[in-house]
Amino acid sequence: MHNSKAHIWFIAPAIILMIIILIFPLFLAGGISFTDYNLGNKTFEWVGLENYDKMFNRKTYVKMIWATATYVIVVVPISVVLGLCAAMLINSLRFGADIYKTIFFLPVMATLLAMAIAWEFTLHPTLGIVNSFLANGCGGVREFILGFHWLPWVDSQESWYAAACANNMDFPYWLKQKNTAIWTVCFIGIWQAFGFNMVLYLAGLTSIPRELYQAAEMDGAKSTWEQFKLVTWPMLGPTTLFVVTITTIRTFQVFDTIEILTKGGPSKTTYVMMYAIFEKAIQQNLTSIGAAITVVFIGFILVLTFFQRYVIEKRVHY
Amino acid sequence: MEAKQYIGEGWKHAILIIGAIVVMLPFYMMVSMSLKSQQEIQSISGGLIGAQETQTFPVCVKTGYSEETCTMKPYQYNYWFAFEKAPIPRYLMNGVIVTLSIFIIQVLVALPCAYALAKLRFYGREFVFSMVLFCLLIPVHGIALPLYVMLAQAGLVDTYSALILPWTISVFGIFLMRQFFMTVPDELIDAARMDGMGEYAIVWKVMLPTAIPALLAFAIFSVVAHWNDYFWPRMVITGNRDLFTPPLGIREFRGGIDSDEFGPMMASIVTVTVPLIVAFIIAQKRFIEGITLTGMK
Repeated sequence: MHNSKAHIWFIAPAIILMIIILIFPLFLAGGISFTDYNLGNKTFEWVGLENYDKMFNRKTYVKMIWATATYVIVVVPISVVLGLCAAMLINSLRFGADIYKTIFFLPVMATLLAMAIAWEFTLHPTLGIVNSFLANGCGGVREFILGFHWLPWVDSQESWYAAACANNMDFPYWLKQKNTAIWTVCFIGIWQAFGFNMVLYLAGLTSIPRELYQAAEMDGAKSTWEQFKLVTWPMLGPTTLFVVTITTIRTFQVFDTIEILTKGGPSKTTYVMMYAIFEKAIQQNLTSIGAAITVVFIGFILVLTFFQRYVIEKRVHY
Repeated sequence: MEAKQYIGEGWKHAILIIGAIVVMLPFYMMVSMSLKSQQEIQSISGGLIGAQETQTFPVCVKTGYSEETCTMKPYQYNYWFAFEKAPIPRYLMNGVIVTLSIFIIQVLVALPCAYALAKLRFYGREFVFSMVLFCLLIPVHGIALPLYVMLAQAGLVDTYSALILPWTISVFGIFLMRQFFMTVPDELIDAARMDGMGEYAIVWKVMLPTAIPALLAFAIFSVVAHWNDYFWPRMVITGNRDLFTPPLGIREFRGGIDSDEFGPMMASIVTVTVPLIVAFIIAQKRFIEGITLTGMK
């Protein structure tokens, strides 16, 4: 042991900053959410649960919960499964693995806002290559595949693709149409997130000992699928748990694509929580409502992380 | 058997290539638009780079440049005009100032704290560490609104401080460095003390050099996150162009999406996006390591 008091100077800045920047704001948000305070007001009054009452009863906020839930429920599973599939495919390649890894990781790295604008143009009805690709495929293989004509119950005259072709190439305005906007935003979310999951899964896969596969084979698990069920999937348990939690937390915080592409519209179908906080509290200066949304938002995240860290994590390690 | 394996490999590549094409679509679109002329963009012709015919650009003439200045190849025009219209170097500079300041302050705060938590014994150490663990649960974007209220009350909205202050404490950095310092042998520190080094000197002259690999990964993690961050700058920078970070600049370029030319707009977006992507391609391994850092517990 040494007799220095240095530790006080070492931990004091961190403690002070933690309290001011991370802990105090939690209480501040909680406090404001029970008032009618708006930024710039000199006074405020306590209004009890009024803000929360609005949140769960007004149409706008109900739609907000819906949009957020839809986004999270669609993006998380698909980007996790895609990440796993990509990792397994890449892991089993004989050559070229690094190229795919780099390409799939690019969206994670690139400035999301810039990429959102690039997607906006890619999906633009008159300037974008997606719709021109679709229009050029009318009556061909593309229509057969993407119009789902290969499914027995889809009528090849009535599919969405055939209808668009027949109706003067009326393909969707993906980001501006009520029935496609949220799915398009989800698609961009998945596009951005799955490379991150892929890398985590690749790390998980390399840590599985080869002998386990040999043992499984001796036990009669010959097919790839059986080996996956018997060895890969259980061994990836901890990775999967981690990937799901971190993707969920990141997905909850979606903002960039919404703000630049849809502004929460059309008719609030993409009105996610982070955007709602921004719009209400910053643009409309309704600070107290924004604080109430913040509290609910943080509640979600804390429960999720807590769940991961203390409840499940102890069980998935084999 | 051999043939079957080759077919299997072929299928895998086929699937991955389709995936790669979808992933690359917006990148292709972005680069292509930044090179082509407005007519080519609107008629979706010219492939990746367009015909590159020398021409006079009407928007440029309307802005007040001489016809001679405005006559050049589309790719030259797009990039030249992008820099004429917006202070792009300024945005990039702001990006560098903000991300570097954040990283340096994070290290100045986190490193000594991590050292104390890992190697010094003092009353309340466990409490401080559990505080760090609790703070790890708090998403900073989630508490953006109360932070904004605090900054507004302090009159700091629209300043560099607003961009930097909320990020000065990285509990994740503390946690990471502490885990790393735990693996440093005590003998190293004892030897330094025998040599008469003070605790401050030990942190910066003994611990810091051993932590370089972990610090590098953390640097990439921190810099990438804050270079790309749009939400926070959008909250606290309202109109002052001099404080725009690259994503705010991007937003401004897109402003005139209906009337303006798309070429110069995309050229500015490419310019702002490219530095990180190039750095990533050069130092891929390090980047992947740094960004997935949160995954290596």
